[in-house]
Amino acid sequence: MRSSNKLKVSLAATAVASLIAVTGCAANQPAGSAGGGTDKLEITSWWTSGSEADALNVLIDGVKKSSSGLSVDNAAVSGGGGANARQALAARLQAGSPPDSWQLHPAGQLKSYVDGGQVADLTDLWTQNNWAAQMPKDVAEAQQVGGKYYTVPIGVHRGNVLWTNPAVLSKANVTIDSATGVDGLIGSLKQVQAADVTPVCLGDKDIFASAELLESIIMSRTGADNWKKLFTGGYSFDSPEVKQALEDYKTILSLSNKDHSAITWDEAAKKMANGSCAVNLMGDWAYGELLNAGKKPGTDFSWVTFPGKEDVFDYVGDGFSIPAKNIPHADAANAWLKTLMDPKIQTEFAAKKGSIPALTTADISKLSPYQQEAAKSFAKASVVSSLAHAQASTAEFAQTYADAVSTLNGSGNVSAFVASMTQAQKTQLK
Amino acid sequence: MRTSFRPPASAGLRPKKQVPHNVKTSRRAAWIFAPSLLVSFVFVYVFIGVTVYISLSNWKIGTSPNLSLREPFGGTYGEIIQEQRFQADIRNVVIFTVIFLVLAILGGLVAALFIHHVAVGKGLFRTVFLLPYALSFIVTGVAWRWIFSPSTGVNQILRNLGIENPPGWTTDTTVLGALNDPTGTDFLKVQFGIPVALLPIIFAAGWQLVGFAMAMYLAGLASIPEEHLEAASVDGANTWQRLRHIVLPQLWPSTITCFVLLLHVALKIFDLVVAMSGSGPGFVTDVPGIYIYNYLSSRYDKASAMAIILLLLTLAVIVPYLIRGYRRERKA
Repeated sequence: MRSSNKLKVSLAATAVASLIAVTGCAANQPAGSAGGGTDKLEITSWWTSGSEADALNVLIDGVKKSSSGLSVDNAAVSGGGGANARQALAARLQAGSPPDSWQLHPAGQLKSYVDGGQVADLTDLWTQNNWAAQMPKDVAEAQQVGGKYYTVPIGVHRGNVLWTNPAVLSKANVTIDSATGVDGLIGSLKQVQAADVTPVCLGDKDIFASAELLESIIMSRTGADNWKKLFTGGYSFDSPEVKQALEDYKTILSLSNKDHSAITWDEAAKKMANGSCAVNLMGDWAYGELLNAGKKPGTDFSWVTFPGKEDVFDYVGDGFSIPAKNIPHADAANAWLKTLMDPKIQTEFAAKKGSIPALTTADISKLSPYQQEAAKSFAKASVVSSLAHAQASTAEFAQTYADAVSTLNGSGNVSAFVASMTQAQKTQLK
Repeated sequence: MRTSFRPPASAGLRPKKQVPHNVKTSRRAAWIFAPSLLVSFVFVYVFIGVTVYISLSNWKIGTSPNLSLREPFGGTYGEIIQEQRFQADIRNVVIFTVIFLVLAILGGLVAALFIHHVAVGKGLFRTVFLLPYALSFIVTGVAWRWIFSPSTGVNQILRNLGIENPPGWTTDTTVLGALNDPTGTDFLKVQFGIPVALLPIIFAAGWQLVGFAMAMYLAGLASIPEEHLEAASVDGANTWQRLRHIVLPQLWPSTITCFVLLLHVALKIFDLVVAMSGSGPGFVTDVPGIYIYNYLSSRYDKASAMAIILLLLTLAVIVPYLIRGYRRERKA
């Protein structure tokens, strides 16, 4: 008995030891946390895919040129539409060892960092350089919380773009026109289905892809003003327009590839360009991704604004902030922010990333036809913030929305979605 | 160790200096253990206490602490148990744990018996079965994701074999043997049963941990005295009878060890699910680990409450085991 007990103990000990060895207990060491000179700069972002990484390199090369001898530590974290990077950042902020600068979305997401006292007030830098005068009012306002600037915008993305495959559409003898609204779109997609082709490519392994499709439909049905009121409590998720949008969403989901929850957004965009289906809704970061995959705009893929009752621009902004406390390399961080606001850098960045420059002083004539079109639309469309990217409201509200979309994808239960969102409107919008 | 604490019934026969020697060793042992006891007290029990407190507080955004207690007391728990996502997570983790344990332990036993009795290539088979265990869940998860991808993966082979509608694997939202039919607005918001989408993930986890269970059983098999088996053979026991009455009972300690060590792999599963499927449509493949991760930055209280519930789930299984072991030790 005793020997078998000893054996048991030694077995358990070996197993525990090997578990620890295999699973690994290495701690995350934040890089570059010492010193205060200009020789080093650490930045975090969620730009890791091909086109995103290329665009980020434009910025890194730019800041290296402006301050010679600077070494830049690119601490990008991939996945989850930025959710993973934000988790990693939250852990570092909590530990008091922030990077020199980090990527974030303006408005709602910026506000949670401001409320937490984590981002530095950049108002002086803005007034010194007169940046506000060089960009549309909507963009400048989104960089503020309580009248003060806390971030600089590097680019403007559009969330509600419908990417199309011209060959598939013409084979099915279907055209998609933004002016025909959501009903027109569903009619066209059903025609595609009748021609024995999957109408919609969707890749929502990361739920933001579904969340973005649904928000595009909701803002198409409600219009820009009511969309904005959803986040102030002035308009309910329990309204006929939102419910109609949810039914539309279910229809479009039924017209999508069956394996949508198993593939990622970029895989879905490429599937569309390869002719597996006719359309794919995705923000215009898909443009850079498709170019990177060797697809030709106009022939392999084309685009329309997501059809709706008015021209709505679903704004997903990218910006950078610097920490309010414990900044490791303050001078390098300042040089970094100034580099981001250089019109030439913004143009170069936009060319790689597929976004449009936030600065109107940036030259867009050399950008792609899509970007020139988006820049023009941005100037005249109604601009609203994206909820799927936690820009329209707080992180908590955005997470509730993402969870509700996941639930809806499984059950198709519209009233449960409406119930949880109206509840969130009551309790979370304060 | 245990003999030194026995009442000194036979102490009279022993030289007297032996007793102080034992006291000295146990004192020294206490000093040696003190630092690790202190460290585990702080890093386990104090931190559990802190997590419990956070789960009762108003701390929402992870990076800006708010330590005021939430009204009504325990409101966060009341909030999350009504969520469809939470209910799906509890269902998933229970189903995952049960099927995974059965799969890995039975698989490990069969593999160990096979290797123990096979005449040639013992080392080769042992390595083959153990190898997956040496890999990270993320690595194998990505490979399994490709294998179970409905449009490419293994379905390509099935289609070539003439099967027109191959399974949707992790995208399937069917729940087998559902016990209830929720409308979505009642308290119970999920179907309780076996989510089909979870099965490929359980299979992948089982595949990876079979080698671990096998190693445990191989060690157990090696410790069974050969004489017992020989004596049984002489008495006319066949292979099955020897397995049933001699081998399996003596492997029981290995089974218990496997059970406990694999149980916490199952309850804490995160990386494999993230790599293979994520939360899935309607959270069919969501697990508490992903829930905690998702809410870390937006609702710190909710993430903490889920962590505590996960801890309670673990304790519900481990504590009876510990009590049983403790009682047995006192009897001995």
